[in-house]
Amino acid sequence: MTGAQWTLIVLLAVAAYAVRLAGLFGGQAMAAKPRLKPFLDDLPGCLVVGLVAASLAGEPMMTWAAALVALVIAILSNNVVLTMAAGMTAIVVGQIMAGA
Amino acid sequence: MKRGILSILPLALGAALYGFAFGILAAQIGFPWWGVMLMSGLVHAGSSQIVAVEQFGAHGFVLGAVLAGAALNLRYLGIIASLSDVLKDVPMRIKLLTIHITGDENWALTMAKRAGDPTIGAPFLIGSGLTMIAVWTASTTAGALVGGAIPDLKNYGIGFAFTAAFIAMARAMWQGRTSILPWAVTFALTFGLVEMGLSAAYAIVLGALAGVSLGQLRKKAEGQTP
Repeated sequence: MTGAQWTLIVLLAVAAYAVRLAGLFGGQAMAAKPRLKPFLDDLPGCLVVGLVAASLAGEPMMTWAAALVALVIAILSNNVVLTMAAGMTAIVVGQIMAGA
Repeated sequence: MKRGILSILPLALGAALYGFAFGILAAQIGFPWWGVMLMSGLVHAGSSQIVAVEQFGAHGFVLGAVLAGAALNLRYLGIIASLSDVLKDVPMRIKLLTIHITGDENWALTMAKRAGDPTIGAPFLIGSGLTMIAVWTASTTAGALVGGAIPDLKNYGIGFAFTAAFIAMARAMWQGRTSILPWAVTFALTFGLVEMGLSAAYAIVLGALAGVSLGQLRKKAEGQTP
């Protein structure tokens, strides 16, 4: 494993546990602060949407179509595994059709 | 504790499938199976791990990947804080272990069961948490073993699995009408910035901050409207 991979794992573990510790010792007070609450409520969702946007930038129409399929399945099922399976199926089918 | 261990099994099965898929993706990015096992045992946060690994694989920027992963974990401030009553009679060393093995699934199950049966408490939370971390670590490791043995899947669009996972995570985080503005702003700004050539890591942070800020402004404006 590379040094960067080790660093990623260790830092992510420290960060994840630090958030839990903060929740144990001061979470209720932090969650109640009006200035912090919108960030706690909205930031995770916005970050995930940003990740979707960044991963679709510069991609061909086929990838957007697969993303649409995944979105529909996500809305209907609210299930990560089903959504991933549907998205990957759409990508593979698209590649086969493009190659045909 | 035994009741917690057994009650969580149906939810653990769903996490195992997700973990297996994550393990395959992590292996394709270059993590050895034991590295994935180490990460799952030490971090124990599915969405954080998948975001951090994707960011690391795409950009190789460790700090950005850690920050993105950690930011997704902010919800644990509230989750752990809500356990203060459940954990009030538990020794500190057990508390420190319990907060690590607590995840979305066993927290939600404990709180739901406790609402109908006040005798449900720390032993249930700990038992279900031990099941979850064991299943998560084992399933991600198994996925990494399989992912490491399969030839390069990038040509088959394996990278899109991350996008699909993010779409599913977003669906789970949807808060109704109030999410529309912040999410639309985040998506449009992040997409535009990446298209203009800005690094995706910076674009995501800027887009998300703009989305959160505008969403908050809108909430304030609506709150002031009679």
